[in-house]
Amino acid sequence: MKNRILIFIFLLVSYLSFSQEIDNDLLFIKERLDSVVSYTADIDLETDISFINMPRKKAEVAYSKGEDLKFSSDDFVMLPKRGLDFSLGELFKYSFITVLRGKKNIDGIDHKVLNIIPTDRKADFSIATLYLDLEKKRISVAEISTKKNGTYLISLQYEKDKNVLPNLVEVSFEIERLTIPLNFMGKGAKIDRKELKKDTAKEGKIYLFISNYKIFKN
Amino acid sequence: MLKSFNGYSVLKDVSIQCSGGEVCGLVGANGAGKTTLFKILLGLLSADSGSVKINTSHSKPIGGIVEKPSLYGYLNAYDNLKVFGSIQGLKIDKTTAQQQLLKVGLSLDRIDPVKNYSLGMKQRLGIAIALLNDPKVLILDEPFSGLDPLGIISLKKLILSLASKDQIAIIISSHIVEHLFKICDTLFVIKEGEISTYAPTNKVKYAILASNIKESKVLSNYKTLFDDDRVIVHIEKDKLVDLLKNLLQEKIKITACTPIIDMEALFEKSVL
Amino acid sequence: MMSLIQIEFFKLRKQKRTFYALGAIFLIELIVFVIAYFQGGAILDALLSTLKDTFYFSGKLLNGNLLTYMLLNSLWFHIPLILMIVISGSITTEYQDKTLQAVFLQPVSKWKFILSKYIVGIVFTIVVVLLLAITSFSFSYLFFGKGDLVVYLGTLNFFDSKDAFQRLVLAFASGTVSMVFFSVLSLTLGIFFRESIKTWIVAALFLIVFNLLSQLDMPFLAMNTWFLPKLNNTWQYFFYFDIPWIQIILHLLILCFYIFITLIIGVRIFQKRDIG
Repeated sequence: MKNRILIFIFLLVSYLSFSQEIDNDLLFIKERLDSVVSYTADIDLETDISFINMPRKKAEVAYSKGEDLKFSSDDFVMLPKRGLDFSLGELFKYSFITVLRGKKNIDGIDHKVLNIIPTDRKADFSIATLYLDLEKKRISVAEISTKKNGTYLISLQYEKDKNVLPNLVEVSFEIERLTIPLNFMGKGAKIDRKELKKDTAKEGKIYLFISNYKIFKN
Repeated sequence: MLKSFNGYSVLKDVSIQCSGGEVCGLVGANGAGKTTLFKILLGLLSADSGSVKINTSHSKPIGGIVEKPSLYGYLNAYDNLKVFGSIQGLKIDKTTAQQQLLKVGLSLDRIDPVKNYSLGMKQRLGIAIALLNDPKVLILDEPFSGLDPLGIISLKKLILSLASKDQIAIIISSHIVEHLFKICDTLFVIKEGEISTYAPTNKVKYAILASNIKESKVLSNYKTLFDDDRVIVHIEKDKLVDLLKNLLQEKIKITACTPIIDMEALFEKSVL
Repeated sequence: MMSLIQIEFFKLRKQKRTFYALGAIFLIELIVFVIAYFQGGAILDALLSTLKDTFYFSGKLLNGNLLTYMLLNSLWFHIPLILMIVISGSITTEYQDKTLQAVFLQPVSKWKFILSKYIVGIVFTIVVVLLLAITSFSFSYLFFGKGDLVVYLGTLNFFDSKDAFQRLVLAFASGTVSMVFFSVLSLTLGIFFRESIKTWIVAALFLIVFNLLSQLDMPFLAMNTWFLPKLNNTWQYFFYFDIPWIQIILHLLILCFYIFITLIIGVRIFQKRDIG
């Protein structure tokens, strides 16, 4: 309910204050991203979650415009449901409007802050906040509030100034404490009752180191 | 030798001796202390006081069987010999095993586990094992118990041949004196932990049955006890044949001649 | 001494019960595998249920490594139970059949004789665990393949297949020391009780009580280190993400110390007692 009211207000404001619905800078960046027809890349995954210890994992990703991302790996990999989509196609899949939130300086670079609000009910996120690097014409940070899977903060870093696809993606999210059936606990495991009682959700991060891009543009 | 268990005196000042080539018998009722004495001689038990002296510097001076012959039932005869031989550093190949088994009247042909053997065969194998490493003394605890008459006879033959051929000092125990009489040179009697009688078994009582026994004159040279057509005469074993010859010359109609062992007398007083 | 050891191996080889025991051990291994396979899926689901909202999983976690790990969890109870029967039997049978008497009618050194039984018992234990390791890896990899291992020990630990294999091997090695302890203990109990059934019951009691006590948390750290039931869980330490090597080595050394003491007690009792 709260979301609906918010959307209505934004719609109203945007209608009143802007003659176009989508920000120009965003449109430019979107077109840059759309020029990528397909790509493959190698990903190194690192997890930073307090109760999970996982070594660095390798996987390959294959993207084709209009299709779901494909992953392959020899090992077992855990991939965050959000944050894999570097072209942020999910955000732009359904119709949306943008709202300017102002400017922010991140690491000495001026960024334009935009809210993305989907206008189609089918979109699986309620609102997203993008931080656009106007100089290099690409997205640095995206904060997405999904309808079903919580909020994600995606931070993108690029190797070269002209790259539009990132080389490091940091995905931060909230994750609930594990509940483990007692009989599976190893004999050496200590039952830390205090920890168990803390029902608080924890913050987790996944780092995706992307390399060896093979990009096909139109 | 003195030995007590939990305050109960089993052996009270017991002494026995046996020479090479001699067969000594130890007779006593069940619980008299025979097995305890043997265990001490064999080193399985330690005496409270006293000592065992064997005139040899051999690594295995004494061998024997105590209670029943203890064998590895799941192994065959050869394997048993191999096991008992190896643990004392002997190498038992098939030839050696064959020799040892033949010595006691067994053959290598049987390869089934020893648990299938008759008691007589087990005794023999037990003796073969006891004889490994050529001990100078052999101790046999109740070797005849459980054997059939034929088994007893053949075991007696074996014992005598071991004593005479290999000059082994053999000590046998039994609670049945008749078994020991024919083969023992010396007889020890143990009663309630004490050696009560000791005597060479040379002099024996014999009962001679003849309808006209009272007519004999030669019998007056011996200590005798007449009872109808039976006489009990005290005589040395090796002199018996001459006596019988003389009685036959006197035309005494001998129908039987059996040795008599009076157990009660044996235990109560010196009768020999 | 070598001939005594050789003879003990010979006797072990020739007894049917040795092979019955080995058969039982491998049968149990097979059953545990089958159960683990069916349970494994459910356990994985339970472990990873809260993560499924946030992550996609790609790859097979129900693999040979997980099954071997699950086997390890139950191994250290079943195996000593059976091993103890064979190993304590090597002395109690000799008492009962009186072959021990027959042995000491030959010129044999008491301490050498009993030490050879301990040595053979220890070697037999090591060989059994080695065989178990080989068969479990072969069987599990053949039928369930390799893959990452996930273990819960306070944290959810994921190990690469190669890393998992190495840790599992080390866990087997560490567990072997515990198994040797139980074998030596059973032989010492056999020397003490001189009779099969009493020995089995007491040995089984030790095993069960140790298993129960290992769950307890000792109030002082030092007690945790020296408390024997806990030492038998040292194999678990290999599944902490960072292996605490010093702790593990310390534990294993202490366990070896206990093994040594138990062995010495057994030898001393055997030497002092009359065979007859």
